[in-house]
Amino acid sequence: MRLPVGVKVAIVAIVVMGSYSGYANYIPQIESKPPQELSLEGGNVTPAQLIKAGDEIYKTKGTCEICHKIGQKGTRAPDLAGVGARAAKAKPGMTAKAYLIESLINPNAVIVEGYPPIMPAVDKPPIALNRSEVWALTAFLQAQGGTVDVALNDIPATVGAGGGGGGAAAAAVTMPGDAKVGKTIYMGKGGCLACHKAKDIPGTPVGPDLSQIAKIQTPDYIMKKILDPKGMGTVAGFPPGVMPQTFGQTLTAKEYTDLVAFMLTLK
Amino acid sequence: MVGAGLVLAGVALLVTALPAFAQEAAREPAYRNFPWIGSRLAVWAVAQLHLNFAAFILGVPIFAVIIEIIGWRTRDPRYDWLSHEFVKLTFAAFSTTALLGALLLFLFVGYYPKFWTYMTSIFFPTYWVYALLFFAETFTVYLWYYGWDWLSGSRKWIHVSLGVLSNLFGTAILFVANSWVTFMVSPAGVDESGALKGGVWAAINNYAWMPINIHRLIANIVFGGTIAAAYAAFRFLGARTDEERARYDWMGYIGNFVALSAFIVLPFAGYYLGREIYAFNQTMGITMMGGFMSWLWIIQAILIGVLFIGSNYYLWLGMERIPGSERYRKYVPPMLIILAIGFMVWATPRSMVVTLDEARAMGGTHHPILGFLGVMSAKNTAVNLMILTTFLSFVLYRRANRVSQKPWVKTGMAVQWAVIALAAVIVTFYGVYGYFVESLVRIGFSVYQVVAVLAAIVIVMAIDIPMFKGARSTGVIRWGTIAPRSQYVLIILAVTFTWLMGLMGFARSGIRQHWHVYGVLRDTSAEAVTPALGYAANVISVVTLVFFALVMFIFWLGGLSEKGKAGAHGHVAPAIAGGSEDHG
Repeated sequence: MRLPVGVKVAIVAIVVMGSYSGYANYIPQIESKPPQELSLEGGNVTPAQLIKAGDEIYKTKGTCEICHKIGQKGTRAPDLAGVGARAAKAKPGMTAKAYLIESLINPNAVIVEGYPPIMPAVDKPPIALNRSEVWALTAFLQAQGGTVDVALNDIPATVGAGGGGGGAAAAAVTMPGDAKVGKTIYMGKGGCLACHKAKDIPGTPVGPDLSQIAKIQTPDYIMKKILDPKGMGTVAGFPPGVMPQTFGQTLTAKEYTDLVAFMLTLK
Repeated sequence: MVGAGLVLAGVALLVTALPAFAQEAAREPAYRNFPWIGSRLAVWAVAQLHLNFAAFILGVPIFAVIIEIIGWRTRDPRYDWLSHEFVKLTFAAFSTTALLGALLLFLFVGYYPKFWTYMTSIFFPTYWVYALLFFAETFTVYLWYYGWDWLSGSRKWIHVSLGVLSNLFGTAILFVANSWVTFMVSPAGVDESGALKGGVWAAINNYAWMPINIHRLIANIVFGGTIAAAYAAFRFLGARTDEERARYDWMGYIGNFVALSAFIVLPFAGYYLGREIYAFNQTMGITMMGGFMSWLWIIQAILIGVLFIGSNYYLWLGMERIPGSERYRKYVPPMLIILAIGFMVWATPRSMVVTLDEARAMGGTHHPILGFLGVMSAKNTAVNLMILTTFLSFVLYRRANRVSQKPWVKTGMAVQWAVIALAAVIVTFYGVYGYFVESLVRIGFSVYQVVAVLAAIVIVMAIDIPMFKGARSTGVIRWGTIAPRSQYVLIILAVTFTWLMGLMGFARSGIRQHWHVYGVLRDTSAEAVTPALGYAANVISVVTLVFFALVMFIFWLGGLSEKGKAGAHGHVAPAIAGGSEDHG
């Protein structure tokens, strides 16, 4: 049987595209997932947990490993082996932790000789680490040959504030809810104070301190976290699976928006 | 054509209503979910289809007007007929392009309202410019197409000017749309909160804008050429007479010639784009080339290898229908070897995802020998030598049935070979030297390599054209006698290039990762994950298939009106069989 030209051409086209697709499916499949937000504020974090969290940020969200190696000289950026010890002598009159924090949030302040000034500020988009994450990352860097003594308060409060949440459109985001009513839900129907402290509202430290949650997290994160705490991950240093998954059913829409409005006042 | 008008009117209406949409969007959720396939896939598919059609209707007219000018100046009616045929093909695709553009806009407004509000807050003034340019281009193209006979003879210059003008409008439209796309990749002119700092020009003139303008403009010409050549190939394979075969053989050759001419310079535009992305943000550049996307460039290398080898193979097959070309057959094997080695080098990955045992056996994630071929020094050298070889194929094809009568022919040829050899030496020298210097210095070497190749092309052609002017012919080209497999090569080239465009679209979009606008507007949707290459390739294949099905349907529809009207618009197809010593 003689095939029509159209059929023959279609077969050729499908075989060609099928080959390309087949090869693309054969090679390693790597997805790029959005980084998870890490919050350590108010938690009882041990130095080991802090370093572990910093290690994870170093390899993933911080994108540090793309240019910096540990124990290997890079062509784009210096080897970070022993940086915890070196940092103490890098700038006269400056402690190791202060130097490391400055290097992270203002990387052009000191440029290591022989390398180009290409490092972006890690607390600004697109990396956009929050205060907790910069804290953990600093601890991880100190652990490279130095002593880990960095505390959350060493990280400037302005670190990680804003950016990436929707530009001009997001800057104008306000919740329609009533923050005052939200506070009563926080202390009453929501039962949040059973596990969280929030400024002057005392709470059992089962979960993180929420006193500055609006500063360190986006509105989007807060809204999702209330409705799907498991899906949004557990803050390091706290037990997973404790926060109820049922607020989406127990709170009315009005109560939910009021609660979020209250949370957004916690800065 | 009425459809295009209606769509344009709809878009214009939407543009006027955009502020209201924007206000509404501010009260809306950030995202809505498109049924069944999800919003991301819906936007991806429609955007790729729209881009394919847009590239076609922008690319084909560029070389259609060039061909018309050649026909006008040489008074050769074949070129005028061919130009008219190409514009006819474009014309049939206009409505579909506009329709897909409008559909894409509706998807953004409906399913990504927060993103669209933000983009509108930056680019609203350009929407008007875009709409006006679209009107201007449509009317000019209408006049160009329908005025073909009216503006002939002494008024031909007016007709040609209309063709040039419509291309200028088309290019301007491309540049406006590129400003939106490139702003998403390398935003500029906005403060930390994402608000516009000054005028919209700063946002338009971002790092990636001009490189993308140049890259897309050239790529569109290649794309238009490959599609037109594939169309000719399809008609060639279905032809019933020698005359038809000859006509479509010639049409396919011209389409491929234009595509190849533009394709040769496309990698240089790609370097420029890559360099500007690094200049904008090193992290983005490194993620693009060495991060999760590193394997994408291996696939790209395979596709470009197919394009290079396919284009050369077509030229070599084409030489078989040219009496006198036998003397150049001996050059084919070495050229094939250079292309094959270049292809292998370019497709060699720098580092591979391997098992622990494999890594131990290799002594790391880099192969001890092949790993050296995976770096940019080797790849730049390979691609430059492939470009040089392809150019050489073309030069040999061009002179296949010509014997120069100029007294200085020996000197001329010696200089030509010396220039090509010198370019090859420069390319290889900097390729090897690149291993011994820092990356910043190495990047600069690629400029020397590019300049050497471009200079060789210009010098060789500057000698070749006068050298073969008035040359003795060894016989006429036997148009229509080319092996049918050559026509399948043209179809493979068109499919491959279309697929490559889809892949590059994924690369451009994927390097933003979880950002709608990199570093400014985060993608907080459930679909913020950038998919792996397998998934992306499947989407690209399906969309490419749909594109070709639509193109076939549109061409079939366009052909219906011509049935029974051999001399429609007075454009009788010229006889070509055995008719020319000219290569076009």
